[in-house]
Amino acid sequence: MAPRRCGPCMLPVLALALLGPATLAQELPPRWAPALQAAEGLAEELWGAGLPGDLPELEPECRSLLAAFAEGSAALTGCLGRRARPVRVCQGCHGHYRRLLALYGTIARAVGNSSESHNCAKSILTSDRLQIVVTLSEFFNETWEAANCANCLKNNSEGLSNSTEEFLDLFNKSLTCFEHNLQGQTVYLSPNNYTEVCKNCNETYTKLNDLYNNLQRMNRQGGESGHSAHLCIDVEDAMNITRKLWSRTFNCSVPCSDTVPVIAVSSFILFLPIVFYLSSFLHSKQKKRILILPKRIQSNASLVNIQEKYS
Amino acid sequence: MANVAKKVSWSGRDRDDDEDGRAGETTPLLNGTGPGAARQLTPSSFLRIGQLSNVDLNEDIHELETELPRQRPNEIPHNEKLLSLKYESLDYDNSENQLFLEEERRINHAAFRTVEIKRWVICAMIGILTGLVACFIDIVVENLAGLKYRVVKDNIDKFTAKGGLSFSLLLWATLNASVVMVGSVIVAFIEPVAAGSGIPQIKCYLNGVKIPHVVRLKTLVIKVCGVILSVVGGLAVGKEGPMIHSGAVIAAGISQGRSTSLKRDFKIFEYFRRDTEKRDFVSAGAAAGVSAAFGAPVGGVLFSLEEGASFWNQFLTWRIFFASMISTFTLNSVLSVYHGNAWDLSSPGLINFGRFDSEKMGYTIQEIPIFIFMGVVGGILGALFNALNYWLTMFRIRYIHRPCLQVVEAMLVAAVTATVGFVMIYCSRDCQPIQGSSVAYPLQLFCADGEYNSMATAFFNTPEKSVVNLFHDPPGSYNPMTLGMFTLMYFFLACWTYGLTVSAGVFIPSLLIGAAWGRLFGISLSYLTKGSIWADPGKYALMGAAAQLGGIVRMTLSLTVIMMEATGNVTYGFPIMLVLMTAKIVGDYFVEGLYDMHIQLQSVPFLHWEAPVTSHSLTAREVMSTPVTCLRRIERVGTVVDILSDTSSNHNGFPVVESNPDTTQVAGLRGLILRSQLIVLLKHKVFVERANLSLVQRRLKLKDFRDAYPRFPPIQSIHVSQDERECMIDLSEFMNPSPYTVPQEASLPRVFKLFRALGLRHLVVVDNRNEVVGMVTRKDLARYRLGKEGLEELSLAQT
Repeated sequence: MAPRRCGPCMLPVLALALLGPATLAQELPPRWAPALQAAEGLAEELWGAGLPGDLPELEPECRSLLAAFAEGSAALTGCLGRRARPVRVCQGCHGHYRRLLALYGTIARAVGNSSESHNCAKSILTSDRLQIVVTLSEFFNETWEAANCANCLKNNSEGLSNSTEEFLDLFNKSLTCFEHNLQGQTVYLSPNNYTEVCKNCNETYTKLNDLYNNLQRMNRQGGESGHSAHLCIDVEDAMNITRKLWSRTFNCSVPCSDTVPVIAVSSFILFLPIVFYLSSFLHSKQKKRILILPKRIQSNASLVNIQEKYS
Repeated sequence: MANVAKKVSWSGRDRDDDEDGRAGETTPLLNGTGPGAARQLTPSSFLRIGQLSNVDLNEDIHELETELPRQRPNEIPHNEKLLSLKYESLDYDNSENQLFLEEERRINHAAFRTVEIKRWVICAMIGILTGLVACFIDIVVENLAGLKYRVVKDNIDKFTAKGGLSFSLLLWATLNASVVMVGSVIVAFIEPVAAGSGIPQIKCYLNGVKIPHVVRLKTLVIKVCGVILSVVGGLAVGKEGPMIHSGAVIAAGISQGRSTSLKRDFKIFEYFRRDTEKRDFVSAGAAAGVSAAFGAPVGGVLFSLEEGASFWNQFLTWRIFFASMISTFTLNSVLSVYHGNAWDLSSPGLINFGRFDSEKMGYTIQEIPIFIFMGVVGGILGALFNALNYWLTMFRIRYIHRPCLQVVEAMLVAAVTATVGFVMIYCSRDCQPIQGSSVAYPLQLFCADGEYNSMATAFFNTPEKSVVNLFHDPPGSYNPMTLGMFTLMYFFLACWTYGLTVSAGVFIPSLLIGAAWGRLFGISLSYLTKGSIWADPGKYALMGAAAQLGGIVRMTLSLTVIMMEATGNVTYGFPIMLVLMTAKIVGDYFVEGLYDMHIQLQSVPFLHWEAPVTSHSLTAREVMSTPVTCLRRIERVGTVVDILSDTSSNHNGFPVVESNPDTTQVAGLRGLILRSQLIVLLKHKVFVERANLSLVQRRLKLKDFRDAYPRFPPIQSIHVSQDERECMIDLSEFMNPSPYTVPQEASLPRVFKLFRALGLRHLVVVDNRNEVVGMVTRKDLARYRLGKEGLEELSLAQT
């Protein structure tokens, strides 16, 4: 939507909205009060600056909605930042996100009661070039999408889905297992001394790995092609950390490398074409072409021009 | 010259020239050698030239053939300087005989308008069917290859943990080999013409050469199945090139309104049952094929223009464009529906290069010299590819000509391809984190958990996907060592694979090789410039791909547009053009393009744009074949049958001369009649006596000739009784009364131009009394070629 400038025609209407900020503050929950006070402060500032009284301003309903949005986004931002590493975004912030989403919906739909032609959506979302509320909400949505959180939440996005819970349980179990087995050992020990961990936690780790692979497979099958094939970031990150610990730090996964048979088999296969080409060169009869004599008048000219006839 | 003299004993040199009087003029020696040796021509045969129009010419030819001394080597190993007898010309020249004029009179204006509408309908159908065939190939390949890779991946994962990876290797190699075996068997035993990419064949067809079986339904079926099997079999091939052939076959089939293979005649589009019309539709089909393969409708039109442009008009261009647009649109909509997001039209071609529109992908003026340098590299590598492939193909033609051997070879290549891939993956220690990457089949192998082997993204995937990965994977996804090894290996694999008896294209492998070294180039640039922002490796991968492809196939205009359309970025047009131009110039310095090379190796009488530049001293007299088998206007049936059944001279066009019972009298040229027409006449027994006997007989119409098209029965299948042999046949109604002729003194370039521009099949050489002296056909012209040491002549050979 294109940003709209507030034209002079709207000024009287907006002036009405400035009348009762104080009464509204009492109706609102106390935690939104500071924001409202700031808004009031701004209005007073404007009054004080001697600006005309019919300055365009928000209706009280809209103002409260805006304040609520500011609060909610601050909370969500804090949540996201705090849970950035290790990633617990989806588990921890889905409540915030859901509330903010609902609030944004309200703003977009809310109609101010002062005039039918005027509503909060217009005055909050599209009145200026910057459109901060829209930008913020877009940012949150994009982040949420990128994190693929929908994947590990329930369908109504209240709480984690069962499979995610199961996975996180198992994940915690394996972490605990790692911790238990590392007790008494210092981190500075050489990698060889992690054998204890590898032996004792192998079962949990394998389970975890299998579960993850299962989740991934289900996700790939269930999701339509429009849907990305990623699991939600929490699960992915958890698995990633565990795998790194397991194979990099503890060096537990040592694949059997059987170089000798591989070399034998591959050199056998690579040897076959040589045999094939040699044998077909030696035994196959070379294909001969039978020359056909053209019926032509032969002259000197044509033949001096033509060289290398039977090279 | 020296080795010529060794092989041939030249007894009759220069003697004929004195007798001839005209051809013995001292011609400037182009190559500085002494007077060349004339070929053996016995005086007896020479004297007959004056009696060309004799009634009993046929017998003369018999004698001539037997008289010729067998002094020369009759059998030689296959080489590039041959013209095969099995290729005939197409009849593009319209035979304006009486029947044709009658039909034109009968059809009114409205009917001609319906014909025009039918042309558009056919073009739309060509587009739709080509698009559908492309979809079919794409979907089947995707599913089968997915299945194969999943099976192998599970197996590798299993054996990585437990040990025994050699079994995985065996499994992979066996799977590949067996799939390729099926693909190769159907090609080698059922329809050998479906081998390869089909682009050389279509090029020849548009040039006017009739390649046997090239536009049959059977070929299409084999081609489609063969392509699917060879791509699934993991060969270093693509499915894009064969789409062009498929499109051409579809076009040829639809425009005829029937299938001779299926023996079904739908009784529609009968008007188009001629070579001229069919050629137009075939060029539309080829364009539709390109357009479906790359999502490049304009590129498709230009491809047809570049390959078949000697016969062209703007209405045809517009129709062809229509067909290609329909084709890419059909593919796009069907694939969108298949991928679940209907109506968003996101997959215009079989291969999508993906979007190149981010900030980093732009280029600056400073980079243009770098691109040109890449073009040089591409040209050199392309020339190397072609030279290697040339030797290999020669070896294949000479020694691996039995179908069983061809199948075995294809299987071996498939097994080795799998082995090389496996060994490369096995040895690679280049691990990349699996998160955030879009690898279809991540192979872990010896990497840590949660990582995948980077070499496997290149080898353990269908080539199309690997190309796109190379273009778009973020910087740092591949380490230089991986790319270098991959380029090296894939170069030899692709070179080895092209020319196998499987249907497969060379576009994708070339793009893949180029993308790999281009990306490597980009990475090293980035090292050199300490990580400058503009050195995005994906962009260089694209340029490398263009350079490599240009260096191999040497297409110019159409390839530029195809690449431009496939990337969807017009600003890339300029660098791509520069790269392709440089690659072509550099490559042409060494060897010619891959398709031209294969055309030559197949001994096809292909006519290039121009006659060789140093050939003006050659006249029609020296070029033409003589003596000519002529027919009288009212000819004895027995004579006609004898001429047609003569296996030693398989002529297709016969000049018709004035029928004069007095054989000594000279007779002027009256017209030209084709073998196919004669056969239809004999089949319907259109004899003068039968007409005189007032037998109630339907008059022959043009429709009868069209019904027999394109597979005219052989003469052996037509029974002519002894009595009928004595009948006479009147050709004046059926012959083309105004065939193109040239005087004996016309120079080769002049004859060539006439021949090429009009798409002729026969050009009669007459003297100043309008007597037939000789006949110029495609093979007479195509045998002159500019070689490394001046003008060369190719010999005719039975292949």
